[in-house]
Amino acid sequence: MVKKTFISVISAFLVLGITVIAMAEQLPTICAVHPYTGRFAFAGIEGAAAMQDVVDMTNEAGGINGKKLQYYWADGEYKDDVGIAAFKRLYAQYKPQVAFGQSTGMTKALGPEIKDRYKTLYSAYTFAEEAANPKVNPYLFLPGPTYVDQFGVILKYIAKEKPGANIAFFYSDTEFGREPIAAGREMAKKLGLKLVAEEISQVGGVDLATQILDMKAKKVEYCIFQGFVSNPIASVVKQSKDYGMNIKFMGTFWSTEQQLLNELGPLAGEYTGVSAYSFYYQNDLPGIKKIQAWTKKKYPKIQYRSQSYMAVYMSTLLFVESFKRADKMPGGFNKPENLVKALQSIKNFDVGGLMPPVTVRDNSIPVGRAYRGNPATTKFDPISDWIRLD
Amino acid sequence: MRSGDFKENYISDEAIFPSLFARFWVAVLLVSLLLFPFVANNHLLYIANMIGFAVIGAVGLNLLTGFTGQISLGHAAFIGVGAYTSAILITRWGFSFWLSIPLAGLASALAGALIGIPSLRVKGLYLCIATLASQFIFGFIFVHWESMTKGITGIHIPPPAIGAWHFDNERKFYWITLFFVLLGVGYARNLIRSKMGRAFMAVRDRDLAAEIMGINLFRYKLSAFAISSFYAGVTGALLVNFLKVVVPEQFSFMVCIEYLAMIIVGGLGSVIGSVFGAVFMTLVPEMLSVLSDIVKEAAPEMASLIVPFKQVVFGFLIVSFLIFEPRGLVEIWNRIKKFFLLWPFSY
Repeated sequence: MVKKTFISVISAFLVLGITVIAMAEQLPTICAVHPYTGRFAFAGIEGAAAMQDVVDMTNEAGGINGKKLQYYWADGEYKDDVGIAAFKRLYAQYKPQVAFGQSTGMTKALGPEIKDRYKTLYSAYTFAEEAANPKVNPYLFLPGPTYVDQFGVILKYIAKEKPGANIAFFYSDTEFGREPIAAGREMAKKLGLKLVAEEISQVGGVDLATQILDMKAKKVEYCIFQGFVSNPIASVVKQSKDYGMNIKFMGTFWSTEQQLLNELGPLAGEYTGVSAYSFYYQNDLPGIKKIQAWTKKKYPKIQYRSQSYMAVYMSTLLFVESFKRADKMPGGFNKPENLVKALQSIKNFDVGGLMPPVTVRDNSIPVGRAYRGNPATTKFDPISDWIRLD
Repeated sequence: MRSGDFKENYISDEAIFPSLFARFWVAVLLVSLLLFPFVANNHLLYIANMIGFAVIGAVGLNLLTGFTGQISLGHAAFIGVGAYTSAILITRWGFSFWLSIPLAGLASALAGALIGIPSLRVKGLYLCIATLASQFIFGFIFVHWESMTKGITGIHIPPPAIGAWHFDNERKFYWITLFFVLLGVGYARNLIRSKMGRAFMAVRDRDLAAEIMGINLFRYKLSAFAISSFYAGVTGALLVNFLKVVVPEQFSFMVCIEYLAMIIVGGLGSVIGSVFGAVFMTLVPEMLSVLSDIVKEAAPEMASLIVPFKQVVFGFLIVSFLIFEPRGLVEIWNRIKKFFLLWPFSY
């Protein structure tokens, strides 16, 4: 009798346990590979903090429809093989529904596997065209405009300011640097701008006299940088002034950073950049105020958050919104197609001024704004309204 | 202690596995390698594949640098030549993966032989710079010959297949990697105990004396470059077929430095040293990453200190090995073997 009772109780527990395990749903999980060390660490450290902040804010506000949002990350060292290994390790351990990668290279390498095998909603520290092609890979998206779109903003701005101007492309000899150049040549032609020079340099190059004198000889009026963060942009700007040249310098997202203005100092006004996000010091925007309040509460010693922070913050907001929408669909967010549909359904999503109301189009957000450095405040001032590129 | 171990002819003296004991442990290793994919997850299999590619590349470089004494800073370029050859043959001309591998090796061998021609006139650091030029030349070609290489966009490659069986994940590709690793290591180990291997070592030790003895320097130096580059080409072809994409940035100058570090840390002039070096340089950073992730989860507020610290630890490990064992990991292995061979006697 005792034996029978004992067996019945154990069996009941087993059945209950199996049922609980079977019913246990995978919680909403984000896994990220940040370039926390290496050449892109300036972006990775900020990005890791941004993602953590959005996750914490979301969980404080009740999570994803009551479910706690999980977040795990690893350092990819800005090396593709290390990043891919880290992604596979995180996936094997946590089976995330969404993932974030560290570079264009990692995105290209993992893209086919994400589509065929992992089926995670994916974004990265990249604005490469390849990551915003829903027909080829619906799981990849960008939290802003592609580099080609950003070039478009700059070229349209130049064509409006001075039609038929002499322009030069100054880019790094990397994938990042070369990405929008071919499309940029076509756009310049269409807009009637004269592409008189293409200068190539190593990232962090210091001996730039050849390139600068070439631009002087070809009477370049606008120089567009791509593929650099601060060096050698600051060196080019300073040396051009030393040579008595009157060139207007412009650049895309990753170089439109406070770091560059700090290096330019009194020459900050010589640089105009494109960004998809507002800056940390635009105090009149509710979204920025929220970030400022959170930063003051959690990181009292931190005075500023970079554009890298804003980009990853935006990506994570889109992840969270996609989770929330997908959770209401049959199958929930554990069905990969639901997350893709949820992302693509985002229209006029209010992000408190961090960007204009967000509409995801072709898995990117094709909007940008021109900012010029202010030497008096050493900050970027917006000099155009938000420009839609679709 | 092993006793009564004597050889009656040169063939048995030159045997790679001279004793039953050695053969037994090699068999255990082979069985472990065969069972590994059935117990490992995708992450471990990814690491295993990357170690395999590194082993093949490191063995090739050690044949050139460790055995023949020719320093090369162009190894990444030859890996790239093999990679692009394989990718172009598969995607453009419909070659099968299986045919593209040896052809990729041959293309790299040809490139390596061409680049090796200066070795007849220059030595040491001067040869180093000459081979460095090849790194930049091929890097330029990979980026700018867009009609063939598709420039920075890169080439996406379909997974290898035998009939309907596709090798499209880490577990399946592991068998291909294992096959080529065993083939490459086996061939290299046999090569160094052959006439050609002895000629390589003579060139390394004293090339003028070797020439006087009748060793054709032109032939053997070029052969060393060609064989080393063949290995590099196979490495590149396997790597890009595994990753299913080839872009120029995969073959940067840092890759040359990594392979040189593998053979130096592992042991110059030793095939098994190349294996140790490849395993060390691939596995240790990954283990440090896992360790730093565990520590970071426990103390997230210390992440900014803990995560970069693994680079410091890795650098410290390399420097320590070189200080305490300048002949590399293989010398530690030899001492361990000798200990068990002579146990309980220490001399």
